Amino acid sequence: MTDENHSPAEPSEMEVSEEHEHDEVSATEAGLEESGFAEKKKIGVGFWIAASWLVLITFLAIFAPVLPFKEPNQNFIVFEQKENPITGKIQDRPVQPPYSPNGDHWLGTDQDARDILSRSIHGARISLAVGALTALFGIVVGGALGMIAGYFKGILDKVISAIFLVSLSFPGLILAILVVALVDRSLITISITIGILAVAPIGRLARAQTLSFAEREFVLAAETLGAKKSRILVRELLPNVLIPMSTLAMLVIAIAIVAEGTLAFLGLSVQGSSTWGKLILTGSGLQTLESSPWVAFAPMGFLFLTVASFNYMSDRLRDFFDVREIFVTRD
Amino acid sequence: MSHETETPSTLLKLDDYRVGFRTERGLAKAVDGVSYELNSGKTLAIVGESGSGKTVLNRGIMGLLGSNINESGSVKFQGEELVNTNRQKFWGKKMAMIFQDPMTSLNPVMKVGKQVSEPLRLHQGMSRKEARHRTVELFTLVGIPEPSQRFDEYPHQLSGGMRQRVMISIALAIEPDLLIADEPTTSLDVTVQKYILDLLVEVQKESNMAMTIITHDLGVARGRADEILVMYGGRVMEHAPAETLFNEMAHPYTSALLSSIPKLDDPKHTRLTPIEGFPPDIVDGPDGCKFAARCQYAQENCLSELPDTTVKGDHSYACFYPIGTDEGAKAFASNAERGHTAAGLKIRAKEEVI
Amino acid sequence: MPKAIKRLIGLSCLLIVISMITFGAMNFLGDPLFNILGPVAADVDNPDSVKIIEEAKAQYHLDKSLPERWARWAWDFVQGDFGVQFSSSGQPPVSNLIKERLPRTLELMAVAQLIAVALAIPWSVLAASRANKRTDKVSTITAFAFVSIPSFAMAVILFYIFSIRLDVLPDVYNATDSFWGFTHDHRLIQLILPGFTLGLGAAAGYQRLLRTDLITTLQEDFILMARSKGVSKRRVLYYHALRPSLFSLITLLAINIGYMIGGSLVVEQYFRIPGIASAVVEATLREDFPVVLAVVMIISCGFMVFNYLADFLYSVIDPRIRTEKSGQRRKITSMGM
Repeated sequence: MTDENHSPAEPSEMEVSEEHEHDEVSATEAGLEESGFAEKKKIGVGFWIAASWLVLITFLAIFAPVLPFKEPNQNFIVFEQKENPITGKIQDRPVQPPYSPNGDHWLGTDQDARDILSRSIHGARISLAVGALTALFGIVVGGALGMIAGYFKGILDKVISAIFLVSLSFPGLILAILVVALVDRSLITISITIGILAVAPIGRLARAQTLSFAEREFVLAAETLGAKKSRILVRELLPNVLIPMSTLAMLVIAIAIVAEGTLAFLGLSVQGSSTWGKLILTGSGLQTLESSPWVAFAPMGFLFLTVASFNYMSDRLRDFFDVREIFVTRD
Repeated sequence: MSHETETPSTLLKLDDYRVGFRTERGLAKAVDGVSYELNSGKTLAIVGESGSGKTVLNRGIMGLLGSNINESGSVKFQGEELVNTNRQKFWGKKMAMIFQDPMTSLNPVMKVGKQVSEPLRLHQGMSRKEARHRTVELFTLVGIPEPSQRFDEYPHQLSGGMRQRVMISIALAIEPDLLIADEPTTSLDVTVQKYILDLLVEVQKESNMAMTIITHDLGVARGRADEILVMYGGRVMEHAPAETLFNEMAHPYTSALLSSIPKLDDPKHTRLTPIEGFPPDIVDGPDGCKFAARCQYAQENCLSELPDTTVKGDHSYACFYPIGTDEGAKAFASNAERGHTAAGLKIRAKEEVI
Repeated sequence: MPKAIKRLIGLSCLLIVISMITFGAMNFLGDPLFNILGPVAADVDNPDSVKIIEEAKAQYHLDKSLPERWARWAWDFVQGDFGVQFSSSGQPPVSNLIKERLPRTLELMAVAQLIAVALAIPWSVLAASRANKRTDKVSTITAFAFVSIPSFAMAVILFYIFSIRLDVLPDVYNATDSFWGFTHDHRLIQLILPGFTLGLGAAAGYQRLLRTDLITTLQEDFILMARSKGVSKRRVLYYHALRPSLFSLITLLAINIGYMIGGSLVVEQYFRIPGIASAVVEATLREDFPVVLAVVMIISCGFMVFNYLADFLYSVIDPRIRTEKSGQRRKITSMGM
């Protein structure tokens, strides 16, 4: 009855000749409904590029101490033959750091002549650890709460959903500052604090997924066969909830890395170690930025590539697995 | 109905017009060599099932298909070649279109009056006041009660019939030379359908524009269209003046189409005969007649050869074994005898030729 | 309007819970007495100190139970009394600080939102009208990059480009300069860099959402109808397609105000804008609880007010909501800090 007007096809990926420029408005219209081919979903090359970067940076971060990187805290002062302005003698005199990128220090050094490349790689250790711990906490706690709410429903669901709602309405970063300032600035505290903020979004997704899967045949079948609720939760529902949750977890890692950087900028980052945020902060003062921009921009490059990769992979995966919810990725 | 008063001015002339969509599997031939002429003041009904290419054909003529297509052949509108040109200059002035579902084709967040007066303001240089006045006039003309109040209402506040009347007044506001009505009544209540159709024909006659009604329902065409063109698989199956078509129906597809739809004058509980099977694949379609696979008359050569168009006066059809000829009767008899067609389709016990 | 009232009650409950959590967290994790008195608070062996401690406890109701103290605080808060600043000498009322600082943050947010929306709309329209062509692909990648740049990095990048290298925009914010004007001595101009820092990322986020919604709208029949009426492409895009595509954007605009507050913590810190966000950072570090509590409440209230306002904006945009009362509000799960 509806004739050719099926729901319009997705705008096609095909390249289009230029002479029809006039008509872009309807270009996405009428399109391919006549042929009715659903386009195959592709994860895309970008996904693998992003994944490769993450594998590389994780590898470098884990094995940084044994890889031939320079000592991150050593001061590589360079000396040169120079006339001493007082004595007039030619002697070895230290050159004022920071040094710009060169063969020895690929990304230059900071004001204390420390190697930026090495410091960035070592910074990845803390930043990635914060991201991973946060995601882990978010998935374990949020996933558990969300699945319980979605499977048992009733009062339990109401209470848990209310907790999620409060958490989502809370000015999160201020909470993080409060906790970190009042408790301590250890890796664990910072990760858990940011992780608490990730519980609600992950939990809501887990709840929604559980709700939809709990009605499916395989779960009903298991129930009629007399399987225990805990068994259904773990064996039947968990595998189905895990994929969408892990796509979200990548986003959580990205946000956690950014949040840690934000805390660092406010002077509240992990005590004793340098994270990317701290490294950027070191280089972000007017003088340093003016004379040696690489001090800030090199670690920023690492941070950006990593955050963008996690963001992009999460985005692609959610598209691929059809995880339908819009998440705001801003810090 | 009255082809003796034919006006010499040909408004629209198609010659071997083809439209293909580029797809991953290759070119989808949605319209595969269509030729016809349409004169001012005439109504043409293009009839066919879903996927027969009739909507694509007309959106193609309008130039509304976007850029992902291959167009070839010729479409002349008022003597001007349209194929592979920008047809924007005709939109809202010389060509207008009425879409199938007035709910989705009216902007949900814009007052209906504004949607009617928009082309008046844009193309006829009317002031806001003039355009409003004219819109209210048009609303009255198409039978919308309390027209000046309706002006400030939104589509969702109107009934389906009222919305389609709004659509018609948009078309009237444009005063086009060619109006294409794409299944104008399909989404409407049966009781409203007839009124809307008659209204369309009435305004078409009054303003002497040419109109193409796209429909899947031969009944809609009957008594309203001057000519009927039956399409299948992107090709013209049969083309004739309306009365001729109904009286001397030649193509088995036309016949099958007619017996697949209910008629008002049918006795109660008349069994309808659906056409078995589905429209052909337009990317990698059959070599022979597109309809062969579903045709009760199909012989071996129907599967391999494309039938030429037979022209008898103003009646033309593309079939080797047309109804009402000896060849057709023989073909059907031989199929009935072996119990199936050349394509393997089982023959129904009763074949009714109308 | 029972639905609106129901929502209002729900939001009030939410605010109460938020204040309880903040109140509780500060009292459990910190030591209010120490913050008021300093080292004296720990000096319990000295009778003089003990006397001071007792007096302070009585004055600030620290001898009462936590729920009672919260109730007292809430009662005062509702009446507009936000308490006093522990950490400032003379302990001036918190409301003084807020009156001084809040307008600066609001100015920053307004500039940032304006920049974001002004960029996002033409950007989305351009991308959607050329969906999946080169222009669109490039703009999608650009948007993605902008979304992935945290505000602290964006601050450094913009500062470096426009203030250090090009030297066209001022890097100093002077709270005593007048706002309206177009020289480096007006806060409007001084807010451009901080505004872009917050606005660029937001614009990219808005673009991603609006582009998708626009593409969906552009596939509607009424767009084809408008085209066939001879409406120009530009008018179709901005007049016919934009308005029905704005729903998710409005939701995001409201939610994003919350995130911008998070972002403005960094921006105010980096560009030395003495606004409410930097006030809360300072107060937290000094454990000045009344200030933190007041700011958390103001931010939460603001967040909710904007969310509530968004509901009314929907009905302005879509007449269907006005008449049917069925809010077809698209759910956007918020994520982030």
